[in-house]
Amino acid sequence: MSPPRRVVVTGIGTVNAATAGGARALAAALAAGASAIAPIRSFDVGGCPSRLAAEVDEAVLAGLIDRDAARRLSRICRLAVAASRRALDDGRLDPGGAEGAGRALGIVIGTEHGDFRSSEEFAAGFLRRGVAGLSPMIFPNTVMNAMGAHAAIALGARGPTVTVNQPTIAGDLAVARGAALVAGGQAEAVVAGGVDELCAPVYRRLAELRALSPMGRPTPEGCRPFAPDHNGPVLGEGATFVLLEERSAALARGATIHAEILAARWSNVPVAPHTAPRARRDPGSLVARLLGEASVPPGAVGAWYGSGNGDPGVDDWELSLLAADLAAAGHAGPAEAPRSLAPMFGQHGGLGALRVSAAALGVAAAGGAALVHGIARGGCRTAILLGRAA
Amino acid sequence: MTRIVVTGLGVVSPYGAGAKTFWAGLAAGACAIRPITLIETDGFRSRIAAEVPAETVAALGVSPRRARADRLALAAAQEALADADLTPRDRAGAALVVGAVGGGMLEGEEWYWEETRTGRPSPRIKALRSILPFTHADTLGWRLRLGGPKETVVMACASGAAAIALGADLIRAGVVPVAVVGGVDALTRICFMGFNALKLLDPDPCRPFDRRRRGMSIGEAAAFLVLEDAAGSQARGARVHGELLGAGMTTDAHHVTSPHPEGEGMVRAMEMALGRAGVSAAEVDYVNAHGTGTLQNDRIEALALRRVFGEGGVLVSSSKSLVGHTMAAAGSLEAVATLLAIQHGLVPPTANLDETDPEIPFDCVPRLARPAPVECAVSNSFGFGGQNVSLVLRRFAG
Amino acid sequence: MTQKEVLDELKGIVVERLRFDPRRAAEMTLETTLPKGVEGSLGLDSLDFIELSVAIEERFGLVIDEGEDLSAEFHSLDSLSRFILTKTGQA
Repeated sequence: MSPPRRVVVTGIGTVNAATAGGARALAAALAAGASAIAPIRSFDVGGCPSRLAAEVDEAVLAGLIDRDAARRLSRICRLAVAASRRALDDGRLDPGGAEGAGRALGIVIGTEHGDFRSSEEFAAGFLRRGVAGLSPMIFPNTVMNAMGAHAAIALGARGPTVTVNQPTIAGDLAVARGAALVAGGQAEAVVAGGVDELCAPVYRRLAELRALSPMGRPTPEGCRPFAPDHNGPVLGEGATFVLLEERSAALARGATIHAEILAARWSNVPVAPHTAPRARRDPGSLVARLLGEASVPPGAVGAWYGSGNGDPGVDDWELSLLAADLAAAGHAGPAEAPRSLAPMFGQHGGLGALRVSAAALGVAAAGGAALVHGIARGGCRTAILLGRAA
Repeated sequence: MTRIVVTGLGVVSPYGAGAKTFWAGLAAGACAIRPITLIETDGFRSRIAAEVPAETVAALGVSPRRARADRLALAAAQEALADADLTPRDRAGAALVVGAVGGGMLEGEEWYWEETRTGRPSPRIKALRSILPFTHADTLGWRLRLGGPKETVVMACASGAAAIALGADLIRAGVVPVAVVGGVDALTRICFMGFNALKLLDPDPCRPFDRRRRGMSIGEAAAFLVLEDAAGSQARGARVHGELLGAGMTTDAHHVTSPHPEGEGMVRAMEMALGRAGVSAAEVDYVNAHGTGTLQNDRIEALALRRVFGEGGVLVSSSKSLVGHTMAAAGSLEAVATLLAIQHGLVPPTANLDETDPEIPFDCVPRLARPAPVECAVSNSFGFGGQNVSLVLRRFAG
Repeated sequence: MTQKEVLDELKGIVVERLRFDPRRAAEMTLETTLPKGVEGSLGLDSLDFIELSVAIEERFGLVIDEGEDLSAEFHSLDSLSRFILTKTGQA
């Protein structure tokens, strides 16, 4: 039986409200620590109970993709293509080189809302002008996997292209599934991450439904994960991808290895959709099992990242799940709440990949191990353990 | 090496509820494509589809307050789990991979149409809570108490097949011993209007592989399978429907709607699946084709089949001629059809096939189901956007 | 309608429906070729041509038979505008 395949992170590409670029740009933004959340500029939020978001700069996005070449790409497709291509460039992997390389390159994209703008545009065409108002060109973008299809064309990626739909932790799930594809031999390299964009009607509806900060509470609108006055998530937008590769192939080509993915797992805590019952335990103890399988004691994890984003349900449940796992592992638990990147970048499908990227960069700089945890309303749970690539 | 078997099947199809009903319709070669009743169709060139009958949906035993697609998925998944006779403990450790595209869009559209037409907020806004594809997995994970890895994959027409392949990967990797996998899609206005706008729909029931074919017919369904590690299934004395020998997933990376003109991605998906299965093309008796009935798909798919199997090297038929293109459900629904064909030694026909296109050098089993020994078969799903999945299935001998 | 007027309508369609940059559309002439694979053309593919046909049908109130091979008619803005004029009985 062949030795298990190991997975490493060799590139990062991101387009988000704070920055756009590769590993270096992201590292600089993380070091600066500034929040990109601000009053919304790109659409009218008059009369709306929420008014904040982390918006991508249109000029930045326009500069990343040639307009005519991308004329048929909807905005969210442009975000996905720009960031995934950057991840590949950042890792200096050329799938066009050897004929075989493109065949073995996969893509996994996570998203919560997908291309809602295109769906709305398509339907609006019909409601305004009947059958003649339907645009055949827009229709393909209304299916969530269109972003992956466009990214595959742009990257020359001919391995598996998988799109996963998941609230809150789409990016985490995509990276975990991407790591599984590499570890299982379905691909030699995978560009994995997540994307979401701000869409005025979706934002307004979510705000009206009290799903966004301040969720009808009297405290000020803002993203304050794990804080006593947390009152809901603040949305962001953007795309972030990591380049995952089989370790020996990465070493052989002289790639820069930021970190190794020591283990990546996901599971379900069976709860009613949209709920986050703080008292509900995870019978599978995902994190305890993950650390056990990787033979990494909780005390050896130097950095903890979490999906808590200011949504009190998600925040509280995450804390209680992690505490239970650590107790099960005989550990007193982390001194602080896990680190959330939501205050910097806003809640969106790329956030999980930003967490993995931040963890990888942290491990590259300071060694040790980092755990990226995720939990969403409805019970989807993820755990990704990163360590120094030995 | 881990072998993967199928120990449970569950289907809600345009023929009605249940895997048995599904097989009866296929075996009879009954075409379920009829004038649409669920949505308005005035002004559109093609106004037919294979809908799940109203009586079937009403009798599913699932609350009508749920989105239609959720109801179909829940009923089919429940049947599959009952068929597999899994204990609550098995379920607690079982993975769930759901292929989905439309989600609760049918009900979401009803809200959007009403609000836009009346200019006033509509109480149907509650539909937005279950509009996205992940909704089915959250519902199934909760109602069926599934505690293993949960995932929703969107791969257009290949979603159901991708769910099977990805679930099998989890078992092979030793992550779980059991995976509940499958796909679901209910009819939606956006799907109906979109394929009409692209001029890909036949105004009459589709006729895959026929010289005079003019396009697809859409359908709706839910189909779920229980995949299991073979050794574990035998240890608990489970009844086995067949074996999943291998899967191949590739991307054309060519064009957002048109397949690669030489079927390059299709060929690689089949070769990858056969390679992983350890099976040669000559050992394959039957291919359940993607077979949508469009001029382009059928021609290119035939080209790809010829490259892999040689002219006339294998029986081919399209279930989409019978139950329409069920979108995210198609890949898993047709995998079920393929397993049942193996079990019964009967190849479901291609309906409406009068004269096979001379460019398609295969026996496409026109109109009548064909008794034939089927030991090993391939099921293909080639999704919009050039995302291809090929599955190799075989009778399980132990 | 004159051919120039049809050309202007087509330029509008190329911007609104095919999403070309308005500045690029302003530079288009009757000589501008359309299909991908023709050097110097707009590089339109099958999906663009479906969109273009639907837009032309709506804008000019005519019906295009998709069974017909219209590759010659859709070769350039000149051939396309002549085709439209013929179909609307003005050529």
